[in-house]
Amino acid sequence: MSFILILPIILPMIMAMIIAQKNIIRKDRLMAFAIFSTAMTSLIVFFIMFKLPGTSLPILHVNEFIDIRLKGDGLGFIFAGLASILWTLTSAYAGVYMKHEGKERYFFIFFLMTEGVTMGIALAGNLFTLYAFYEILTLTTFPLVIHAGTKEALYSGKKYIIYSLFGATLILFGMMILFSAAQSLEFTAGGLAQLLKYGQPDLLAGAFLALFVGFGVKAALVPLHSWLPAAMVAPTPVSALLHAVAVVKSGIFSLVRMTFFIFGPALVMSMHLRAFLLSIVLMTIVFGSFMALHQTHLKKRLAYSTISQLGYMLLGIILLNEDALLGTMIHLINHALIKIVLFFCVGAITYSTGKKYIYEIGGIGRKMPVTMMCFSVASISLIGIPPSNGFVSKWFLGLGAMSAGQTLNIVILLLSAFLTAGYLLPIVVGAFFTKTASDIADEENLDPPKAMLIPIVVITGLVITMGIFPNPVIGYLQVAIEKIFL
Amino acid sequence: MNIIGSTPLLLILLLLLSSFTLPFLKNPIKFSLPVLGALTILSWIHGLLFIGGEEYTIQAGHFEAPFGIMLRVTAVEIAIGLLFMTITTLVIWFSASQFHREVGKSQQKTFLILVHLLVASLLGIVYTQDLFNGYVFIEVSTLAACGIIVVKNKADNIKAAVKYLILSSLGSGLILMGIAYLYALTGYLDMTFIHEALIPIASEKSRMILISMVLFMTGAGIKSALFPLHIWLPDAHTAAPGASSALLSGLVIKAPAIYFLKICVLVYGYEMINQTAFLQLVLLFSGTGMIVGSLFARSQKTLKRMIAYSSVAQMGYIFFGIGLGTPAGMAIAVYHMIGHGVTKATLFLLASTFIDKLGKKDSASLKGVGREMPFEMAIFSLCGFSMVGIPILPGFISKWNLALATIETGQVWLLAIILVSSVLNAAYYFPITINGFFSEEDGIKPNNNPVAKVPLGILTVLLVMIGLLSGPILSLIEKALI
Repeated sequence: MSFILILPIILPMIMAMIIAQKNIIRKDRLMAFAIFSTAMTSLIVFFIMFKLPGTSLPILHVNEFIDIRLKGDGLGFIFAGLASILWTLTSAYAGVYMKHEGKERYFFIFFLMTEGVTMGIALAGNLFTLYAFYEILTLTTFPLVIHAGTKEALYSGKKYIIYSLFGATLILFGMMILFSAAQSLEFTAGGLAQLLKYGQPDLLAGAFLALFVGFGVKAALVPLHSWLPAAMVAPTPVSALLHAVAVVKSGIFSLVRMTFFIFGPALVMSMHLRAFLLSIVLMTIVFGSFMALHQTHLKKRLAYSTISQLGYMLLGIILLNEDALLGTMIHLINHALIKIVLFFCVGAITYSTGKKYIYEIGGIGRKMPVTMMCFSVASISLIGIPPSNGFVSKWFLGLGAMSAGQTLNIVILLLSAFLTAGYLLPIVVGAFFTKTASDIADEENLDPPKAMLIPIVVITGLVITMGIFPNPVIGYLQVAIEKIFL
Repeated sequence: MNIIGSTPLLLILLLLLSSFTLPFLKNPIKFSLPVLGALTILSWIHGLLFIGGEEYTIQAGHFEAPFGIMLRVTAVEIAIGLLFMTITTLVIWFSASQFHREVGKSQQKTFLILVHLLVASLLGIVYTQDLFNGYVFIEVSTLAACGIIVVKNKADNIKAAVKYLILSSLGSGLILMGIAYLYALTGYLDMTFIHEALIPIASEKSRMILISMVLFMTGAGIKSALFPLHIWLPDAHTAAPGASSALLSGLVIKAPAIYFLKICVLVYGYEMINQTAFLQLVLLFSGTGMIVGSLFARSQKTLKRMIAYSSVAQMGYIFFGIGLGTPAGMAIAVYHMIGHGVTKATLFLLASTFIDKLGKKDSASLKGVGREMPFEMAIFSLCGFSMVGIPILPGFISKWNLALATIETGQVWLLAIILVSSVLNAAYYFPITINGFFSEEDGIKPNNNPVAKVPLGILTVLLVMIGLLSGPILSLIEKALI
């Protein structure tokens, strides 16, 4: 049965090829077909997650290095499960939204392909497989970024490609050194034992730094973040997915894999890179928040907010202890859910009214009550007010910082939470408590069609659930994380 | 000796014979293509039967080694020989439907005669174990190569061919001087005999040996377009008709490189080349070439010129592998010749197809061409991806193994060259793919000239297979080079 592990990767790709055929899938059935494909993928992922955990599937073994291998483990399944659910909901949302952007078929082809590639990243069994999918991810998301086809879109796409390739080159450099030291790139919980034995410390530190920065490009590490706000020219469902799961979270996930499954916490600890990395990451958190305060373009504000939130996850990684890693993984899930709601809401506003800027949306809460309620819930969760899910992840990150003896980090976390409130709450307040903008004052109800509204409400439900009942997920993650720190 | 075992000799002789038969035929392509196809199949049979076998030599005449000429057959020679035969056949097959449009029907016969002669001499260079014999074949190949450039009767072509001829003659002259030095030192022309005779006098005559090494490097460097001796290449490869460019870039520049590699391994041996500063020179030139070649390629406006400059960068990789001076490095040099041979031949065929279809030569005119010719553009992108180094494709394998071999020799800083060069590759291949598929600009009206898709398909399959089977290929080659 281990062959089933490849299905979440292959199935969306096949569906993408089918959806490309104009005479098989009619234009009005695109959305239904995309929902069907993504839902099937989710079902398969959850089937594997619960019925066949720990399977491994060698696909292509050329030699020790070129060895494509899939392996399911706790962290991978969490990422794959999260991605597949969000993909399903996004395909419903996008089915309606993309009607006003145009080129729906083109969108869905790459949308489905990207899902397959993301599953590949989640289920990769060694660093080489991960790297291969990571490179392909750049290629499949590129057409989505430049969807509009305008000069600005092409320029942003170019920026995205250049940044990504720069990162990939650094990753390749790191892998070369790693492989020459360890002769293996297999993911092993707690790191490869050979590295400690044979590696030269200086070279390995160089490799770690190269890999950290390389994967950090996709995780929008400051100062390599500027592709992310630029990529906001993409249609909203694309931005939402790029932010929530596909690209930035792949970067974080790869960093987790690289730090804890290749190098291992003990080795990284001995490298004395922490002070340097901490300063970059703290800068990312604070810089992102401050930049978000400045933006009046709604999507850009959310984009900078993402950069800051990704900083939290990076912080959890380099603190190198159990609680902090748990915090990173939970925040990966929570932020994905929250951010996708925020983006969907902003997309809904643009869809119904064509408005894109904060100063244009006064009083919109009265006209789009459901949308803006969801937006408020998500905002409060992102700030981290208990009992929201954002509080849960920050709690664990704080615990991790405490046990690493880094109290400064807690101050930064609190400061950033304060700033988060500073850039999200004005939107909520403005939407509900100011005078309704004159051009929409006469409209009855501007909430988007059901196909767009249902995903928003469902994910908001998930956000609330994750806040009140986080324990099943925490328990599942703890089992996976314990192995690393044995 | 059985018939299959002497295939290499047969190949050379039959190609020469068929080349002299061609002038008397009315429809040369109908004769040439089956002959090339049959010989390719023969060489594949020979190659597949050889796998795992011992290396052996073939006596080309009545005399034993020091006096007669020997052909050496190992995995290296067979791999390169297969490459040459296969690419030639596919290129001729592809160009059968297109070539006459580019240069006119009357020239096709001349072209085919020259191609047969060219491949025979290239195979000779690859297989021979005799230095002077190799030199003779190199001269023949130069003349034939000049011929397939000027077969398109334009001023540009003649200019390019003359430039190539002059520089090439200089290169041959240097090689000949190198041979003279070695002959004066040892009294032999056979590679293994020279090696035996050189060992006892290696320390005493080290300067003379170093001079001969540098002579070979410069000579082969001119012919293989090692930076900064590449100046003839862009003109020649751009001016030549599509099929000729594919052969020139895919095969012709590889032959002197393999000759040079054989001299390094067989004549001098690893110990001798590693004792001198000569390898540092090779590394210096090839490293600069890898970066500067790509920079030049990026600034080109015409598509073929860009691909030609990319060849300069890629030849850098090959010499870089040789310059590492280890069996692993040499093996990657050979592997890269194979990978790059297939890729570059495909790229040139596609470039000529685009030019033929659109009637324009600059790469900017390719905007939106992917929607009109998705199959061709997809293959072009795949080749581009290989050059950039997307995993599993041959370009990536070369880079990866080159990097590992570099780390092994303890020169980690050289990794920077490999990485920078691969990023630069992306800088000029990606824009074409992006413009081809995603650019909004329309208004391209390709004509309905037929394109032979089967050979393109086979080349693509070969490209992917070379990547997939890189493990066994590399280990076979490396075993032969120790």
